[in-house]
Amino acid sequence: MTFFTVITRGLTRRPVRTGLTIVGIAIGIAAVVALVGISRGFETSWATGMKTRGTDLVVSNMGSALTPKPYPATVVDRITPLPHVAETCALLADLMSVETTDMMIVSGRQWGGFTWKNLHIIAGRMPHDAAERAVVLGQTAAEVLKKKVGDTLQLETEELPVVGIVDGGAIVENGSVILSLPLLQELTGNEGKINVIDLRVTPGTTKEELRQLCDQISALVPEARAVIAGEHVRDSQAYKIIRAMSWGTSLLAVLVGVLGVMNTMLMTVFERTQEICVLLAIGWKRSRIVRMILLESAMLGLIGGIGGVLIGIVGVKILVQTPAIRGLLEPDLNPQLLLSAVGIAVVVGVFSGLYPAWRSSRLTPSHALHG
Amino acid sequence: MATPDAGGACVFEAIGLTKEYDYGTVQALRGVDIRIAPGEFVAIVGQSGSGKSTLLQMLGALDHPTAGELRYRGAPLSAHGDLASYRAHEIGFIFQAFHLLPTFTAIENVQIPMFETHRSTSERKQRAMELLKLVGLEDRLHHFPSKLSGGERQRVAIARSLANGASVLLADEPTGNLDSENATLVLDLIVRLRREQQFTLILVTHDMGIARQAGRVIEMKDGRVVADTLNSTSH
Repeated sequence: MTFFTVITRGLTRRPVRTGLTIVGIAIGIAAVVALVGISRGFETSWATGMKTRGTDLVVSNMGSALTPKPYPATVVDRITPLPHVAETCALLADLMSVETTDMMIVSGRQWGGFTWKNLHIIAGRMPHDAAERAVVLGQTAAEVLKKKVGDTLQLETEELPVVGIVDGGAIVENGSVILSLPLLQELTGNEGKINVIDLRVTPGTTKEELRQLCDQISALVPEARAVIAGEHVRDSQAYKIIRAMSWGTSLLAVLVGVLGVMNTMLMTVFERTQEICVLLAIGWKRSRIVRMILLESAMLGLIGGIGGVLIGIVGVKILVQTPAIRGLLEPDLNPQLLLSAVGIAVVVGVFSGLYPAWRSSRLTPSHALHG
Repeated sequence: MATPDAGGACVFEAIGLTKEYDYGTVQALRGVDIRIAPGEFVAIVGQSGSGKSTLLQMLGALDHPTAGELRYRGAPLSAHGDLASYRAHEIGFIFQAFHLLPTFTAIENVQIPMFETHRSTSERKQRAMELLKLVGLEDRLHHFPSKLSGGERQRVAIARSLANGASVLLADEPTGNLDSENATLVLDLIVRLRREQQFTLILVTHDMGIARQAGRVIEMKDGRVVADTLNSTSH
């Protein structure tokens, strides 16, 4: 018998209570994994989308909304002459309710711009020109909307034919409805307005030059801000709010877990007062008693953490299949997040055990002779 | 009063040992003076509330005296830096209610005190097996306390008290929860082990029949020693 056996026996003496405590922690940790994984996924999905489009810089005004604010399309003319600028593509992108879906990315793109070039036709064709009143759908968007080439799609007040289904190489691209910029401007009443400029720089541009270019653009275009692709989501007010809410909600769930473990460990100490006193009477040091209680609560945290990570992963996989967010993001469940979640659970366990351990250390061995 | 080994080394020497509870409103010990020599079998008798269990607690360092001094092998116990170590290595306890840990088997219960030693896992197990064999429970090694009779539980507790090779065994009414047959069995076992292993045995009891088996009987009343007699007919 090892000291580990002593720890496990302490936990298995009340299996239902231990199980419920572990479930409590697991739910808290699952919330951390799910909410943080999704909010990070939001960021990484956009970053991957930018990467597949070959975008180096994004010029947009990410205020407190989830999509950037529109600004005049003439801004493009001010940016194009700047050094290191190789190519630009103006876009008007929005999150819209499309037919049965609550939220879908609708992306109007400057005709002939480089952001069309990463789209690979799976079925049908691309629009013939900027004037054609038609849309192409990313493959996930087509699945979610249950559309095929030849169907029509109700967008705002107009029914537009679906002429092609495309693979954009990233979840954000595949979850989008894509059409020409002038058509979306007209449909949404944003004539002459864009809200994103995707920008490619000349080969060999250094990171430092990229940063300088950002500063130049931001100074030149007060309506918007230039940010290195991928960072624009992270810097947005809306994303910051989402991230804060994710952590806030997660921490509340973890707090519930803390209280659960603390309650269980306090009950354990109260129930085992006589036993702890006997252990002291037969020579156990107080430090060993404290270690026993802390390791028991750490063990609760560890098991709850591992369970929570598994529940979180499964939960997120189910969540991203729901129509409301399907195709919008890919959860970022990287090993660092999962390990951090287990680490948080263990810390929660140890923290929750501190007070019960302190209580147990104050017991006097003479109680062993009573009762 | 009997003062065996008055001139030699004592295991215990209590000088004016006093214990008060509730800010002095309860006086459990009122200036107890005793000397106990190595290898003695001492029975402490007295009515309920006479202070005999409190005296046992003081000897086992389960509690601190309010006043007076208690010496162990010549040195004040209050100066002992590590009382947990003293309890672990010098003292073995046997309780009236056995106090085995219910979620551990007999062999595991005997190993519990050995965590405070440098014995390896296999050494602890081996030692526990030997001790359980010594108390006649080699066929009950993996039984949980709930599956053992009262007498068997107390024998496991005796094995546990000897786990770290204690030189003093403190027994608080060790047969108090047993029927007469098991009480005789357990007492005979303790007496036999004392004879074989030469440890000092201090046994608290209110049963004069048990006390008569001791070499010396200390009688207490109202927190004081009222009689201390040698028993020539003891084992």
